[in-house]
Amino acid sequence: MSKPMRDFTKGELEWSPWIEPVDLDKATAGQRDALKITPSSRAVGAYSLVLAHDPEALSERSPLYNGIMFGAKGLPRAERELGAVTASRINGCAYCASVHAKRFVDLTKEPEVMARIHADGVEAKLDTRRRAIVDYAAKLTRDPASIGAADLAPLRAQGLSDLEVLDLTHAVAMFGWANRLMQSLGAPLPEGSETGSAAL
Amino acid sequence: MSDSDADVLDQLAGLSPDSPLAALRRQRPDVVAHMQGSDDAIFRPKDDGGFVPAERAAAALQVALGLRDEILIAHYRERLHALDPSETLAERVSDGEVSRDKRWATIIAHVDRVTKEPESAQPSDLQALSAVGLSDHAIVSLSQLIAYVNFQSRVLAGLRMLREAR
Repeated sequence: MSKPMRDFTKGELEWSPWIEPVDLDKATAGQRDALKITPSSRAVGAYSLVLAHDPEALSERSPLYNGIMFGAKGLPRAERELGAVTASRINGCAYCASVHAKRFVDLTKEPEVMARIHADGVEAKLDTRRRAIVDYAAKLTRDPASIGAADLAPLRAQGLSDLEVLDLTHAVAMFGWANRLMQSLGAPLPEGSETGSAAL
Repeated sequence: MSDSDADVLDQLAGLSPDSPLAALRRQRPDVVAHMQGSDDAIFRPKDDGGFVPAERAAAALQVALGLRDEILIAHYRERLHALDPSETLAERVSDGEVSRDKRWATIIAHVDRVTKEPESAQPSDLQALSAVGLSDHAIVSLSQLIAYVNFQSRVLAGLRMLREAR
């Protein structure tokens, strides 16, 4: 089910929409307002302009995404990104996997970890704390109905607090959202293409 | 809807306001607020773009059925019943049976595809939705809804795990 993850070291992929993005010059007040808060600080990309067709949902989702991925304290940000990469890899979202692999590496300076996941998937050899995080993220992504009390023990054994477990759950769940949006409204452009840009 | 002031996720997770897990959730106040805000935007939009609330509840029910999430199945069945007392749409969300209504059959096919095999979506899927009358606004709303209920089910699963382990 999961496709190979694109090599994140080659730079970020561009994303191309399957429906016409909102034309910023013709955008309604509500659409302009919704576009003010984007989850990254980059220019308004095609992805945000497509989501602006439903400004009410976009204006809630952007701060929700930021709260989950960037909220202070709790689970270290790199481990939220590890959850995001795991979900993206299983859901087959090459774009999301490459962007968040790069963020993980920026935060940890450990490109070899993402290189192993790139090569071997979510079963790649990892230290025990990351193994516990990836195992939970993978199970939650594949089949949330199968999650039960026993799945908490490996996370507890690695010292994760309730808040850290909640943060990881939020991050993995958010990528169950992001991966589906991104893959149902467009696709990454073939490598070497120049047009389009996207902000997660 | 009478429950518009209550926090939907607390209700679904069975958390009373004074419970430890409700307090844990409040350590992330932005997340709690915008999760509820997303629920309102998706199920009670001011402008539904032609993808009406009863269809939204029915599509959410179809996601919940695909995930075998008993709590969400009951929740969206109840919401759909409140919005569509004639049960016209509820009858169409009949496990596995292809609806004779072209618009609804196309929506349901998209719900199942994006829930179960998100990487298999194609540009032609959006053309099909467009052909049965969904505006660009409605198509984006449908994608947000499918993705949101998938998110919601996973947050609930994590909270259930934390509660059961206590």
